[in-house]
Amino acid sequence: MKETPQELRVRKRMLPGAITLNGFIGKDKRSLNTIIAADEQELEALGFSPEDIADRMQYFTDASFSTFDGFIVIDGIYKVETEVVRGKLPCPYAHGGLYRKAVTKITNTEKNISLSWTSLNIHLIKDHHFFEGKGSMYRLEPSILVKALY
Amino acid sequence: MDISAFVLFWAAIFTSNILLTNFLGMCSYLSVSREVESSFGLGIAVMFVLTVTAALNWLVYNYVLVPFNIVYLQFIVFIIVIAAFVQFLELVIERYVPALYYTLGIFLPLITVNCAIFGVSLFMVIRDYSFLQSIAFGAGSGLGWLLAILMLAAIRRKLKEKLVPTGLQGVGISLIITGIMALAFVGFSGIVQIQ
Amino acid sequence: MIFVILKDIAILSAISTILALVMVLAQRWLSNYGTCKIDINGKRDVSVIGGSSLLSSLSEKQIFLPSACGGRGSCAACKCKVLSGGGPVLPTERPLLSKEELSAGNIRLACQVKVKSDISIEIPSSIFNIRRYHATIAEIIDYTYDIKGITFKFDDGEKIDFLAGQYVQLETEPYPEMKQRVVRAYSISSKPEINDALQLIIRYVPDGICTTWVHKYLKVGDKVSLTGPYGDFYLRETDADIIFVAGGSGKAPIKSILEHLQIVGTTRKMTYFFGARTVRDLYLTDEFKALEDVFPDFKYEPVLSQPDPNDNWSGKTGFVMPYFKETIRDPKNTEAYLCGSPGMINAVTKALMENGLAKEKIYYDSFG
Repeated sequence: MKETPQELRVRKRMLPGAITLNGFIGKDKRSLNTIIAADEQELEALGFSPEDIADRMQYFTDASFSTFDGFIVIDGIYKVETEVVRGKLPCPYAHGGLYRKAVTKITNTEKNISLSWTSLNIHLIKDHHFFEGKGSMYRLEPSILVKALY
Repeated sequence: MDISAFVLFWAAIFTSNILLTNFLGMCSYLSVSREVESSFGLGIAVMFVLTVTAALNWLVYNYVLVPFNIVYLQFIVFIIVIAAFVQFLELVIERYVPALYYTLGIFLPLITVNCAIFGVSLFMVIRDYSFLQSIAFGAGSGLGWLLAILMLAAIRRKLKEKLVPTGLQGVGISLIITGIMALAFVGFSGIVQIQ
Repeated sequence: MIFVILKDIAILSAISTILALVMVLAQRWLSNYGTCKIDINGKRDVSVIGGSSLLSSLSEKQIFLPSACGGRGSCAACKCKVLSGGGPVLPTERPLLSKEELSAGNIRLACQVKVKSDISIEIPSSIFNIRRYHATIAEIIDYTYDIKGITFKFDDGEKIDFLAGQYVQLETEPYPEMKQRVVRAYSISSKPEINDALQLIIRYVPDGICTTWVHKYLKVGDKVSLTGPYGDFYLRETDADIIFVAGGSGKAPIKSILEHLQIVGTTRKMTYFFGARTVRDLYLTDEFKALEDVFPDFKYEPVLSQPDPNDNWSGKTGFVMPYFKETIRDPKNTEAYLCGSPGMINAVTKALMENGLAKEKIYYDSFG
């Protein structure tokens, strides 16, 4: 079944070279709805909502924001640093709003997991329940995300 | 057919719904019914096209095809008229209602090959409607199509797709829902029969 | 028999031809908007062929409204006031306009408004100074492992007029991984006295569309396009003491300002704190240290936050904030110029204000 014109436009904006160099879809051939539904199911099974996860990610990003080029350690376990580069990115859903290019790198020293995410990721997870397609540079597997952040 | 245009209008919406009774016009119906706003926009466009092309094709049939004895070419001629009109409509919408043009995108020219449009013109010929009856039938069919797509869009919005078995997600469940809606519409059939 | 067939074909062709003619006329009439007049600020008007967006119609007339997304309706940089003739606000504009702008009713996105009739607009007069420049890459210097200095020489006759500290927008050329062009902002690092060329300092960002192009594909001799100058980050002409804080590629506007001051001369007390992590991130250190002998009172202070023990760094360490206290002699007569990420600017502004500086005297060119 054809995706609606809106969905096709969004997916086009998620391809490499449209907004970012590597895009948001990676090698995933599934439709956007399918990707989002699958991730939502996985997250529900773990007992978290995408909003909870997004808020937790925002908490770490805010805490490490004004550190001037360094990292901080939270709760003795999480080593976080956030780096911001110039410019803003639009959301591929094109509903307006620009997101700064802030990359947060977090290492859970206890469980030995390292992840990165951008401000746009937080928005995509919170408002669109989208964790990026499999194979994409900033793809966040819900299960690994939960393990690392809690 | 000896039936008043007014009755024909209502019959075209309920008892002889172009989509739920005759199952014409399914492709864009299934695709666009994902979002309620675009469904409404598309439905209005289809209704407008149906009314005008029914009238146009009636005129072409009775004043060009019949006098010149080329009734057998009606299939080709009707499609040409529909295509020209839809193209014209697209230009008008782009100029005066750019918001709608942007929302509908590719589905506007796709109205041309929507079998409901062509079907209405053919029904009009088969059942030998008068000019007024054709307009009423076109408008009613359009309204019926709009009603059907709005209903499906509303249902799909509430549908928790993740509860549907994977094989039936998307088109499968939409067709089943449409079938159930059609069954419900069969209940209207006793009111008036036009086919 | 043949006659009948020919007659039928003739009629069918006639119908098709008539309809085709109707379509051509309709197209002419509906899609043709004629020549439209754009009235700018009530002082100047330009005539353009209707049908294109306000942004592209103006740029054809060499009036460049800022645009970071190339007219795709995602950056909202092209906001301008449309007094009349713009039509209703489009759904593509609504999400990018604030509530106040929507209720004012006349703030629009120039890339979405189509010029279909005479239209009157209001734009800041500094826009008239913005031009498009065609340049050739004259030199590429590797300052550090991830920072390059690129010199752009303008084509014959093109000259730029800017204030030290402003930025330009560079347009990328398509390359294998990226078929479209994007536009990105970079501060000018050369002095305004050179007006037929400029230098930009560009740091490589791993997923960056423009920086990947600059670092992997750009070569001396390539031709590029830029627009500018933009921005309101520049040195205020007072006699207050100055504190500069900028690390990494943020050094660009500061370099421009200091090179400019070298020419016009100044007696102001200036200190430049260059915050970095390790010795690998330092560049142009000797050149800036040399400026200490040029100016009557200038100090260049690189501060490393994570120096590698093997580097034997003997300079300042940690973050720059603790060093403000000993540098500021009269907080009421001190200005600060910061260039860097919003997080850095927050941290530094807080520290400066704790040291007594007035918020209005802290100027910054924030990246985010």
